[in-house]
Amino acid sequence: MESKELVQYFDQNLFIANLKAKTKKKALEELAKLFVDNKIIRDMKIVMEMLNQRETLGSTGIGKGVAIPHGRTTAALNVCIAFGKTTNGVEFDSVDKKPVNLIFMVLAPPQDENNRYLPVLGKLVEIVHDRKNRDKLKKIERFEQLVQIIEGTA
Amino acid sequence: MLNKQLELLVALQDLDVMILDAEEVKQLGFKVAGKDKLEKAQQELTLKIDKPLLFNYEKLKKRYKRAIVPVKDDVCLGCFMRVPTQLITRGRSDQQVINCEGCGRILYWYE
Repeated sequence: MESKELVQYFDQNLFIANLKAKTKKKALEELAKLFVDNKIIRDMKIVMEMLNQRETLGSTGIGKGVAIPHGRTTAALNVCIAFGKTTNGVEFDSVDKKPVNLIFMVLAPPQDENNRYLPVLGKLVEIVHDRKNRDKLKKIERFEQLVQIIEGTA
Repeated sequence: MLNKQLELLVALQDLDVMILDAEEVKQLGFKVAGKDKLEKAQQELTLKIDKPLLFNYEKLKKRYKRAIVPVKDDVCLGCFMRVPTQLITRGRSDQQVINCEGCGRILYWYE
């Protein structure tokens, strides 16, 4: 998947530059609520159930201050990504045990016709593995800046 | 508020999909351990679902890739048949589990 293609799954309304949450649970809720508030998802409880189950499989905190909580849910019609940033960091039970500053929440329907879910996840992982991208992401305040980093034009 | 039984069925479908995806997600570099926990959660959920509903779900799962499908703009996104008006009213009220008259899949009102 090309970086430019990944951009289409982000949404200005699914962006928080300063997450209020101080815990993993609250951070997941804060981002999941964006989907509900923007009528992308109707039932918050269903999404939280799925996300919590996913975390029992293993934390989606992939280290280096990044978490990518993800999953397919019947409650989603399309692949979509919410992004949240926190300056202080949130304990996420990450692989490196370090707090998380950057959270990408990826939701997808059980079947997406074009099968974009796994390529989207893979591309996100690739982007955040680059230290320069992580450093830039930690400084962003606006959605446009996020888009530029994802596109590779920042 | 979503019908409790439908809520459980949706959670079960989401779990079924998660178990199927686990291996591919692991290959992307995510930590995926304790799949047995999910299978246990799956078993626990099935105990809470009414037997006829569960039987219906399992039967539909064998026939189609997913047993529960969303309804959007009053259309079943499984078979793309328009849902009859009387079912829309009942379905939207979330009081009972509704099957599509066209394909039989369980309907989830997305809106």
